[in-house]
Amino acid sequence: MIPTAEATIGPFFPPRYVDAGSNDLTVCDGRQAKGQAIEIRGRVLQVDGTPLENLIVEIWQADANGIYRHPADPRHAQADPDFLGWGRAATDAQGGYVFKTIRPGAPQGRLAHVNFMVMFSGVMRILKTTMFFENGNDPVLNLALDRKNLLIGKKEGQDRYTFDIRLRGENETPFFDD
Amino acid sequence: MKPAAFPTVVRPRDERTQPSRIIEGYPQTPLRNPAQPLIRREPTLSELTGPLDAARRVKLLGGDIAGHGRRQAIGQLIHLKVRVLDEDGAPVGGAMVEMWQANGAGRYIHPNDDDHAPPDPNFYGAARLVTDENGLFELRTVKPGAYPVPTRDGWWRPPHVHFSLFGKVWLSRLVTQMYFPGEPLNAQDRILNSVPDAAARDSLIARYVPPGREPYNALVYEHRIVLRGSAATPAQP
Repeated sequence: MIPTAEATIGPFFPPRYVDAGSNDLTVCDGRQAKGQAIEIRGRVLQVDGTPLENLIVEIWQADANGIYRHPADPRHAQADPDFLGWGRAATDAQGGYVFKTIRPGAPQGRLAHVNFMVMFSGVMRILKTTMFFENGNDPVLNLALDRKNLLIGKKEGQDRYTFDIRLRGENETPFFDD
Repeated sequence: MKPAAFPTVVRPRDERTQPSRIIEGYPQTPLRNPAQPLIRREPTLSELTGPLDAARRVKLLGGDIAGHGRRQAIGQLIHLKVRVLDEDGAPVGGAMVEMWQANGAGRYIHPNDDDHAPPDPNFYGAARLVTDENGLFELRTVKPGAYPVPTRDGWWRPPHVHFSLFGKVWLSRLVTQMYFPGEPLNAQDRILNSVPDAAARDSLIARYVPPGREPYNALVYEHRIVLRGSAATPAQP
């Protein structure tokens, strides 16, 4: 069967779908996930650097040991029971989003990374990208060729990274089609 | 049919079955969709896994948003039956679905909407549900009204319902819109008609079910949503 056509979320995505705490992956049902708690923040900008408000960002990542909480991961039985790996944030008036999460371990054959999705009014199909913590040899990062640096979060201290997402224009974030 | 397995294959989509990223007459689209070509990526474990229990992080909201008693929304009562399948046609159970829509007059409860039509104090217009083992979710609501787009050049959105779905892997995440059959505005909607393939467009339009005994006070519409992913069992020698 042919997968259903995507569409923009439009300008009226209900604010109550950005639940309090849905951008904090470090706690699940009141229990603390294992590993190094970090903060990833950034701004989402359109052409000419205009910040976008009320844009939805979602992330998906492995736990502190690089294990996905999903049966397709051969190691999933050992996944941290207190880490769901998914979060959602909405951008503020400055285009800023923030996630509190656990620094993921490196999954087998990969560098540590966090998957991002961007949904917004006028974004007709979900935009997918991936943030890395450092440069190196990774099958996905390598695909970005001379734009690799745009996929690497900027370290702002021990526990804090910045990852800006530019939807179009100068220093446009590389997005993936998969 | 057997419930959907965890997909091991997510094939590239036929671009003709998907909307254009830049749409003429939709002024935001050229500002916020990438100018660079997307980078083709073979799915890795990272994209072939995904959140299965996002519903634990969030609050579910019931599937009856039309209200009862003195708190009934104004509009044509409808009953939606939506089935969620994977590319093999297998039902996707346990999938979280978020829906939102305008009220019967075409107005959203959202600070972004303007005063073109009245709000309905008894209608918020959103539900968050999980599909049953048959991939089904049902919703009692009112039919959304059409509304003018602020471009003010004659573009009206036809009645439609928004859906956001979480499948079994990251790549099966979907945001889509469902339309209603027989609506004259369908033929000129810039979003619906940006999908080049006619069959793919038709599959975005719900099916009207002629009235039967139940439910006695609501019109029934059925719809099907296909998420990306296939179990693609390899042929045995």
